[in-house]
Amino acid sequence: MTSLLTLGQAELLQQPELLHYLFVSAAMFAIGLIGFLTRRNLIIMFLCTELMFQSAGLAFIAFGRHHMNFTGDVFVIFVLTIAAAEAALALALVVYLFRRKETLDASAWAELRG
Amino acid sequence: MIQFATPFLLYLGVAVGALGVALALPRRGLSPQVIGAMIAGVGLGVALLALGLKAGEARPGIYFYLFSFIGLGAALRMISHPRPVYAALYFVLTILSSAGLYLLLSAEFMAFALIIIYAGAILITYLFVIMLATQAPTAEEIDVLSEYDRYSRDPIISTIAGFALLAVLTAMLVGGLEQPLHRAGPSDSVSSAVLSRKVEPVLERTYGLPEEARLVRVEETSATVEFPNGWGGSDQLQIFRPLEPGETMQFDLPADAAAENIEQIGLTLVGGHPLGLEVAGVILLMAMLGAIILARKQIQEEEGRKVAAARGGLTSEGRS
Repeated sequence: MTSLLTLGQAELLQQPELLHYLFVSAAMFAIGLIGFLTRRNLIIMFLCTELMFQSAGLAFIAFGRHHMNFTGDVFVIFVLTIAAAEAALALALVVYLFRRKETLDASAWAELRG
Repeated sequence: MIQFATPFLLYLGVAVGALGVALALPRRGLSPQVIGAMIAGVGLGVALLALGLKAGEARPGIYFYLFSFIGLGAALRMISHPRPVYAALYFVLTILSSAGLYLLLSAEFMAFALIIIYAGAILITYLFVIMLATQAPTAEEIDVLSEYDRYSRDPIISTIAGFALLAVLTAMLVGGLEQPLHRAGPSDSVSSAVLSRKVEPVLERTYGLPEEARLVRVEETSATVEFPNGWGGSDQLQIFRPLEPGETMQFDLPADAAAENIEQIGLTLVGGHPLGLEVAGVILLMAMLGAIILARKQIQEEEGRKVAAARGGLTSEGRS
């Protein structure tokens, strides 16, 4: 059993254990996808994309530990960067859209469907 | 027996989880959220049990199950909670348990960076925007949620879509990964060989080397040191003869000369992906510029509307 005290020693992540992490990551991605499809609040939809970023990050870190290198960690840094940029832009847009129609309902913008 | 039961249990868990998530989503009429969340938890438990049976002895520790249950449960509550502020707070809980999983994977730096950047910075921005972009409640209906928060759109169809994706990914995990993955060795670029500035003080401390000893070369397990002015030797090292000026000696590297997590991340980031780092910087700059431009536009429009209202002219509809 992993103890919180011995976590500092990086040990190889065996493949059966890797599968656990990948399953949790996949389940988190599926939940984020469902939330994005089903919620109608624009802010919650963007929050669900953040959840999908999260699950990708977990898979990156697990694979990085499986291969015993740090490329996964570095990619998570890039994912965090993109998430921060996306949050800044998307939330500015959301506030802008809210000022236009006084609602956060995504279906209020259904005419964009074309 | 187990190899036939395991995929079945896994798919059963995924299907039960799908049923639970579909029940937990808010919708018109009766929406049994608590029962749905419990069913989804049972489904997750069955799926993890199947994976654990498959793994045998190599299954992860108790903390993995703890963190993944908290994380996925909070994620489910996030997409099913009708109030946006609570959804954001549940997302913080998901972030915290993901950071726990990162710690279990011994990625300490990323775990704390995740908490600082996500839970500290990005989520605060979300909370601000949630509070900015809500209609002011009227006096008689303070606690009423808007219609688009109370009911979700097509919960059954989107649950089927999401869990079809999960089932495909799980099928890949069960069937496709039977062969061992190609495993790259520990990356050779990142080791103590590039950390000479860290190795030197460690060597001086461990072996009691004099000030003027100069590090010539560092390899995977050993370091070569040159003595420009000679050295009297030391009892600690079992060297009893004075060394010639310019003589070199090889020492084994002590354990604490190895690169730590954060040093290895830094070396991989700057040494291996310098272009990505630059591009990330440009993206952040562009995002900042974009956010400033969007915010300026709003302020000008607001001012224009106020000026028009003050002049008592035609009230603008807010269509620029």
